[in-house]
Amino acid sequence: MIRTLNVVLVITSIAALVGVYALKYSVGETASEKTAIEHQIDRQEADLSLLKADWAFLNQPANVAPIVTRHVAELNLQILAQDQFGRFDTLPMRMKAPDMNALDGLFESLDAGVDPIQQLITESE
Amino acid sequence: MAALAEGGAPIALDGSRKARRSLTKARIRWVIAALILVFGAVSARLVQLGLVEQDNTIEGQTRDLITATRPPILDRNGLELAVDIRVPSLFAEPRRIIDVEEAAQAIHSVLPDINIDWLRQRLTGDKGFVWIKRELTPALQERIMQLGIPGLDFVTESKRFYPGGSESSHILGAVNIDNQGIAGMEKEMDDESVALLQSLGLARGNELEPVNLSIDLRVQHVMHEVLTDALSRYRAIAAAGVMMDVKTGEIISLVSLPDFDPNNPVTALEKDRFNRITSGIYELGSTFKTVTLAGALNSGKVRITDSFDARFGVRFGRFTIDDFHGKHRILTVPEIYKYSSNIGAIKVMQALGKDDFRAFLSTLGFDKPAPLELPERRRPTVPAKFSEIVAATASFGHGLSVSPLHMLRAMAAFVNDGNMVTATLYKRSVEEARKDYVQVVTPQTSEEMRYLMRLNALEGSGTRMNKFAAGYRAGGKTGTAEKVVKGRYASGVNFNVFASAFPLDNPRYAMVILVDEPKAENAQSGATSGWNAGEATGRIVQQVAPMLGISPDFSEVLDQQLVPTQLR
Repeated sequence: MIRTLNVVLVITSIAALVGVYALKYSVGETASEKTAIEHQIDRQEADLSLLKADWAFLNQPANVAPIVTRHVAELNLQILAQDQFGRFDTLPMRMKAPDMNALDGLFESLDAGVDPIQQLITESE
Repeated sequence: MAALAEGGAPIALDGSRKARRSLTKARIRWVIAALILVFGAVSARLVQLGLVEQDNTIEGQTRDLITATRPPILDRNGLELAVDIRVPSLFAEPRRIIDVEEAAQAIHSVLPDINIDWLRQRLTGDKGFVWIKRELTPALQERIMQLGIPGLDFVTESKRFYPGGSESSHILGAVNIDNQGIAGMEKEMDDESVALLQSLGLARGNELEPVNLSIDLRVQHVMHEVLTDALSRYRAIAAAGVMMDVKTGEIISLVSLPDFDPNNPVTALEKDRFNRITSGIYELGSTFKTVTLAGALNSGKVRITDSFDARFGVRFGRFTIDDFHGKHRILTVPEIYKYSSNIGAIKVMQALGKDDFRAFLSTLGFDKPAPLELPERRRPTVPAKFSEIVAATASFGHGLSVSPLHMLRAMAAFVNDGNMVTATLYKRSVEEARKDYVQVVTPQTSEEMRYLMRLNALEGSGTRMNKFAAGYRAGGKTGTAEKVVKGRYASGVNFNVFASAFPLDNPRYAMVILVDEPKAENAQSGATSGWNAGEATGRIVQQVAPMLGISPDFSEVLDQQLVPTQLR
C-alpha cells in the first residue's frame, strides 16, 4: 500500500519537475521573444520618428520655397498680384435663354478650325 | 532501575537497537543542521540580493531622464516646428572591456573625429558606464555593432529636430543635449510642465500631446524671407518683425535677424543673435506719435478737427526741436500725423498734459516687460516722471525705450476698438482672449486712429508700403530714429521702424517691422523708414494677406468710410 503510494508520489514529482522545467524554459523563451519584439518596436519607432522628421522637413515652406524658385523660369511663376483676385459677385449671371446667334457663330468658327481659347490668349497678349 | 536505587555506578548497556536509534538521532541532527545552513545561506543571499541597489543612473542622470521625449511643437495649422527623433547613443562599460587598445582602435576607425588618446583613457578603468559619443546615426550604430567589441552598447535617446532650421529660431529657442529647454518656447514649456513629466519618467515614447503654437508657418516663412532680403537689399545690420492677431493676441509670426540654427544651439551665443522683438528695447522714433495722438484724442482734450501751430521750432533752454520735413505752418491733427511733425506732436502732448501722457504710457503697459511666454524679455526704460523736455522728446519717440512688442500691443489695441489684449504664442480663441481685454482707448479714438493710419499710407510716409500692399487697406506709421553712437545721436545711422495694421476697415492683424542701420537701396531712394521698413511691410502684407483669407478690395468707399464724420 505504502509502496504504491511512494511510486505514485515519485512519478508525480518527476512529472512536476519536468513540467516546472518546461514552464521555466518556455517562460524564458517568451521573455526573450518579448525583448526581441520590444527591440523591434523600438527600432521601428526610431525609424518612424526619422521618417516623420523627414516628412516634416520636406513639407516645410523653408524647403519648398527653394524648389519653387528653381522652377520660376520654366513654369513662369509669379507672385499673385492683387488685381488677379476675383469674386463670385463679379461673375455675370447666367443668361435666361441661350444666345443662339453667338452659339451659331461659335460652332461656325470651330468648324473653320479656329481654337477659341487660343484666340482669347493671343488677343490678351 | 534496581541498580540506581542501590547507589552504585550506573551501568548502562545499550542494546543494539538502542545504539542504532541514537545513531539515527545524531544523523537527523546533522541533517537538520545542514538544512538550516543551506536554507540560511539561501535566505542570506536573498536578503543580500534584496539590498543591492540597482544603479539606474547614467553619469549622474537617471535613464528615464535621458530617454525622455519632448512633445512635438506644431504651428497653428498643424505643421511641425519641432519633432523628436530617436537616435542611438554609444556608451561603454570599461570594466567589461578586455583589450582597451583594440577597442579604441576599432571605435576610432568608425568615428574618426574622436581623439584616440581620450578614447583610450575613457575605456580604461573600472567604471560601469561612460559615454563615448551621443546622438549617432543608425548607419553608424550598425557599423559599430559589426565591430563586435564586448562592453559597448547603445541607448536610444531622443534628439530634438527643428525641420525649419533657423526660420522660427527665436520663437522655439533650443534644447541642450539632455533634451532640456534652454531658450525660447522650449524653456517655457519646461518651466511649465514638461520637466516635471520627464523627472517622473512619464515622458517616454510618443505619448506626449503635441503643443499647438499660434505661429502660422507660412506667414513666418514669408516674413523671414522678406526680412532676409531686406538685410541684403538695404545693407542693414539687423532686421526684425512681428505680427499679431489684434483680436486674439496670438503672435502669427516673429522673426529677428540675424538668427541662429536651433539644431546647432551654439550658434545662438554668437554676438547680436538676441531676440530683438522681445529682449531688445529701442527708441522707436516717430511711430510713437501714434501713441501720443491716441492718448490725446482719447482724453478729449484734443479733437481730430483741431489745428496746432507748427510754424516755429519748440525751444527748451539751449535746444530747439524742429521738424525733419518742416512744413512750418499751422497743421491739423491728421496733417501732424501725415507729415510726422515733431513740433505738432509736442503741441499735442502739451495739450494733453505731460502727466496725463505719462499715465497713458502706464495704461499701455510701457512700464513693465511686455507679457509673452518667451523667457527672453527686457524691461523697458521709460522715465518714472516726465520733465517738460523729456515729455516733449517722448512725444515723438525719443528719450524712452520700449521693445517692439510693446509697440505692437499698443498698435493692436488702437485698431481693435481700443481693446488691448495680452500677446500669446499659444493658440487662443477670440472668446478666451476677450476675457482679458483691457479698454485703453475709446472705440471712437480707435476709429480716428484707423483713419490716421490709413491716411498716412495713402498720402503720408506710408505710401511706399501701400504701393506693395495696395488693395489690402493697410496703414501705419514710420519711425526713423537716429541711433546713439558714443553717447550722441549720430546722423545717417538710423534705426527704422514701421508699425502697421491691416485691413483697416476691419482690423485683423498688426505688425511692427524694424530695420537697423539701413542704407539707401540705390541713388534714387532714401534711407528713411518708408523706404526700407515700410517697403518690407508692404511686401509682407502683399504675400501674406491672401494666406490669411483677406482678399484685395480696391473700392474707394472703404477708405471713405474710415474718414470720421467731422472731417467728411
